[in-house]
Amino acid sequence: MSGKVMTAKDALYEPPGPRTKKKILIGTVLSLLSFAFLLALMIRRFYLTGQLDPKYWFFFGRLSTWRFIAKGLIGTVEAAFAAGAMAFAAGFAMMLGRIGKSRFLRFAATVLVDFTRGVPTLLFIYFFFLVVPQFGWKLSAFWKITLPVAISASGLVAEQLRSGVNAVPKGQREAALSIGMTDRQTFYRVIFPQAIRYVIPSLIAEMVIVFKDTTFAYVVNFPDLMQNAKVLISNYDALLSIYLVVAVIYILINYSLNRLSTKAEKLLSGKQKQGS
Amino acid sequence: MEKDQNSSVKPVPVIELRHVDKHFGQLHVLKDINLQVKKGEVVVVIGPSGSGKSTLCRTMNRLEPIDSGEILIDGEVIPEEGRELARLRAKVGMVFQSFNLFAHKTILDNVTMGPVEVLRKSKKEARQEAMELLKRVGVDSQASKVPAQLSGGQQQRVAIARSLAMHPKAILFDEPTSALDPEMIGEVLEVMTRLASEGMTMVVVTHEMNFARRVAHRVLFMDGGSILEENTPEEFFTNPRTQRARDFLNSIQNH
Repeated sequence: MSGKVMTAKDALYEPPGPRTKKKILIGTVLSLLSFAFLLALMIRRFYLTGQLDPKYWFFFGRLSTWRFIAKGLIGTVEAAFAAGAMAFAAGFAMMLGRIGKSRFLRFAATVLVDFTRGVPTLLFIYFFFLVVPQFGWKLSAFWKITLPVAISASGLVAEQLRSGVNAVPKGQREAALSIGMTDRQTFYRVIFPQAIRYVIPSLIAEMVIVFKDTTFAYVVNFPDLMQNAKVLISNYDALLSIYLVVAVIYILINYSLNRLSTKAEKLLSGKQKQGS
Repeated sequence: MEKDQNSSVKPVPVIELRHVDKHFGQLHVLKDINLQVKKGEVVVVIGPSGSGKSTLCRTMNRLEPIDSGEILIDGEVIPEEGRELARLRAKVGMVFQSFNLFAHKTILDNVTMGPVEVLRKSKKEARQEAMELLKRVGVDSQASKVPAQLSGGQQQRVAIARSLAMHPKAILFDEPTSALDPEMIGEVLEVMTRLASEGMTMVVVTHEMNFARRVAHRVLFMDGGSILEENTPEEFFTNPRTQRARDFLNSIQNH
């Protein structure tokens, strides 16, 4: 099974002919024009409503503003990575339960996966924000945001890992067993290293959701990018300009994550190709 | 050393199956199989597809569970699961139709994996031996590549080296050349022939009749989950006892 790797895109994509090329060109020009029109319209609205007034923008010339935004960004990144790491650990454990031999563990893991996937992140946050303190368990704002975000993502991670494990050809397992490896060795030395390669791209993409979920930090007063943006807004009474800048920052983060995911996919599929 | 009569007259078979039965749902794939493979013996299993020959091969190291009966490696009964099963499996190598090299490892690491993980040899020692084995099967120049970069014939020879690295008492070959282009079949069969001449105990499920004729000490003909005929290759190919075997040999000679 050597040779060029066939991706889904190759299989479903037919190279366009001359007529289709013409249609694509017309479509591109039309959509660019309408995009430019909408942008102009928006800027006009901004101008008319006074949003371009210097009082909404001058503070972006101050270093302290950017320092404050950077602090928030660091908070966001910390919370996202902490939540991502915990989600991976919990997801890994749930995946082990789901593929394991114990009937009870399989059942328990399935319930957990469905529960964590089914409940909105905000409800988990309210649980840690409002319910947990009533039991006398004091959590810092950091944990009040990272724990619920991690729980919310863990079920998805578990399912992604499991799909990776299932994608490893069963001959790999048989070969490992046949040289006398135990089930454990087989899983950790042969199956999982291959499974993780299959799912790294989707796990990175999953981080985008984690990043976006951390914006709920304002609920628990954790100083993330969103929370700090809110502080700036009330300080300068400048809603739109600040949200715009913050949105661009989020887009940049998530865009680079998506790029990383695509890159990882190319790199890994080029290296390994299909299990022979 | 005490030499009791039993062991000097009748050495323990490397592989022994006693009354092995297996079903796939309604289908009775192995019917009361009894078989002994002696040390140094080359047993070739042939038969039409669906006859159970591949299943038989895979039950010998219990990759396929069985419903009843016993399988013994070197006189020890293989248990259903656990460390003991792994330990006994390590004594019997297996070569698959689809090679099944570890896709994420280099060729060299494929061969050292068993010795390092199972036999707990040092990496250095395992590497040294692996290179010698790869040389023996003629793929030492590919040692640092990954399996996908090799031809099927090369991959299968690596798979043979991988099982040899465990110093097995026997090697099972489950249709080792069925997934190969004709020009690669020869290179794999050549390695197998050499192994046989060096005294390796082998069970080979194959459609390569010439190989069976040249190399086998014993031919088993299977159909419908039973061993219908057990014979020397000369006898089997010139003068098969059962009608089913005669039909089978005719059908493969006709195409």
